[in-house]
Amino acid sequence: MNGVVGKMFGWFNSRLPIANTFERHLSKHPVPSKVNFWYLFGALASVVLIIQIISGIWLIMPYSNTEEQAFSSIEYIMRDVDYGWVIRYMHTTGASMFFAVVYLHMFRGLLYGSYQKPKELVWVFGCAIYLAMMAEGFLGYVLPYGQMSYWGAQVIISLFGAIPYIGESLELWVRGDYYISGITVSRFFALHVVALPLVLIALVFLHLIALHEVGAGNPEGVDIEEHLDEDGVPLDSVPFFPYKVLNALVGIGVFMTVFAIIMFFFPEGGGYFIEMANFEKANPLVTPEHIAPVWYYSPYYAMLRAVPDKLGGLIVMGSAVAILFVVPWLDNSKAASIRYKGVYSKVALALFGISFLTLGYLGTVGVTEVRKTMSIICTFIYFAFFILMPVYTKFEKTKKVPERL
Amino acid sequence: MSTKQRVIKINKSVKFLILCTLLFNINNLSSAEGGPCKDYGDCDKFKYALNDMESLQSGASTFLNYCYGCHSLQYSRWGRIAKDLQIPEDIFFENLVFDKSIKAGDLMTGAMPEDDSAQWFGVAPPDLTLVSRVRGDDWLYSYLRTYYEDSSKQYGVNNLVYPGTAMPNVLAALQGNQKLVCKNIPIIAKNGGEKRDSEGIALTKEKCGFLQVEEGTGSLNKEEFDKVIYDLTNFLVYVGEPSKATRERIGWYVIFYFLIFTALSALLYREYHKDYH
Repeated sequence: MNGVVGKMFGWFNSRLPIANTFERHLSKHPVPSKVNFWYLFGALASVVLIIQIISGIWLIMPYSNTEEQAFSSIEYIMRDVDYGWVIRYMHTTGASMFFAVVYLHMFRGLLYGSYQKPKELVWVFGCAIYLAMMAEGFLGYVLPYGQMSYWGAQVIISLFGAIPYIGESLELWVRGDYYISGITVSRFFALHVVALPLVLIALVFLHLIALHEVGAGNPEGVDIEEHLDEDGVPLDSVPFFPYKVLNALVGIGVFMTVFAIIMFFFPEGGGYFIEMANFEKANPLVTPEHIAPVWYYSPYYAMLRAVPDKLGGLIVMGSAVAILFVVPWLDNSKAASIRYKGVYSKVALALFGISFLTLGYLGTVGVTEVRKTMSIICTFIYFAFFILMPVYTKFEKTKKVPERL
Repeated sequence: MSTKQRVIKINKSVKFLILCTLLFNINNLSSAEGGPCKDYGDCDKFKYALNDMESLQSGASTFLNYCYGCHSLQYSRWGRIAKDLQIPEDIFFENLVFDKSIKAGDLMTGAMPEDDSAQWFGVAPPDLTLVSRVRGDDWLYSYLRTYYEDSSKQYGVNNLVYPGTAMPNVLAALQGNQKLVCKNIPIIAKNGGEKRDSEGIALTKEKCGFLQVEEGTGSLNKEEFDKVIYDLTNFLVYVGEPSKATRERIGWYVIFYFLIFTALSALLYREYHKDYH
């Protein structure tokens, strides 16, 4: 680079690691040369994060965080704001799609052992992102202040009350009032638009930095760092730009097509993405017939209902998320990928997947005796998958992992 | 890709399909719960036509003449309806807006004081801007057509879809007096045909709960009345989400754009992919 631009770039580059960072994290960052579609969901999650942040900023402008106006300001956005409906549906569809891609991303992690040494921290930061997302999603769901916002918040906040000794004061502290009110809405608004997005962005940053330090995995579970060329670059790798970027671009194209189909033709997602009862303004005097969380929380809701005791339910629900954090230390397998793991791991993962999906379904429907029993069984399988992991990964016969990709 | 790999791939997609089918079946179990249309059974299906201006205009007219006296559309503005339904503003305000102080930008906040109405009906008539989204189109279309005479109720009517509804049958003059009647219906044999006795005469049994309009009591016949309700429901679907027609129109362009985007990036990817394979 010559001339004025080159000089300016040089001036900045000697004070800020621009070229270095660009090369290290983008242009020369080595990624495995052979991955499959499961490896796209991370990129898709960052696309949705950007969609959520941008649509969120535009939603804040006309939204009103008061008890009287919260609900009507949403209708104002849907009707009177030019293309307000585009922005709002982008945000509601984005919320569901965020969870969809993150669930697939996490399942990829379990499938190919993306948490194994040395990627433990990548996994832990990822779990923290998931936890922050759950909080973010819940807070955001309260903001339109519809019936389901109100009663969903009622159910979730009352869980704090189940904690011994401090429960009731904690509940009051979270709500900011003796019942859910404008005060709750306005503090949830602050947390939803400032506090948690900051946490999320910080965690995503850490997730990526840790990932780039230890390198991305692959479906074979091969450590590509073992075979380097004379420049120290893994032989089975390609530079992130343009190869991985172009690969991701195809995935983004497919994903955005699906996103657009939902957003423009099925924004309510059959009542799973936007619940019908939430088109009615919050009414503390009328409980909806059937309180169900949005689909992405429903597996945990099913667990909560499977336990007869409220505190017990809370502990089970909390543990279900908490146990994800320690997965790197539960897996004793010599192989990372399910392709080379033994039959126990395969059966365990399949049962886990089925029970999680079943719990997801059970959390969206009313309770019957049969369903309750099913919830209990599935909750047991969910926990057994993790608790027994040290055992079945240790004693099963794994296949030999190849040297090269 | 070797044949073996291909077989493995196909096997995987078959497994995926089986899993999907299983899940779908589990999902179907939910329909076994009581239907949303209560005593009416399954709701009648409603298919909206948001580009049918004539239907929307007729629905708006029915709404403003029969419903707006009690029900508001508080999130909707007068002028927006005139514009979206392609009714010239002067004609709209001349014929459909009865309060002459109303301006095009005003919200349709209703004509009846809420406190009075709560006393008169026991419950204030709800705002209907979003009723089609809360209840669903099918529910609305069924509800408005399933009133029947029931002298035990305050206004002499009850409803199959919404038993104990507080709303009187405002459209009775159009529909006529609808009653619940009993009918003799053929008994269906195990083989699916009608059950007959030894002389070949079809066997019947009495079944009750059928809706029947007393002939000559309403100003419209069944088809005409159903059309009025169709238009009214169509209008309420529109009011529930005024941008719905635009949304579905723009949607095709956006999908088309992303398909082209995907195709181009796939071609580009394939070109670069050759570098390392």
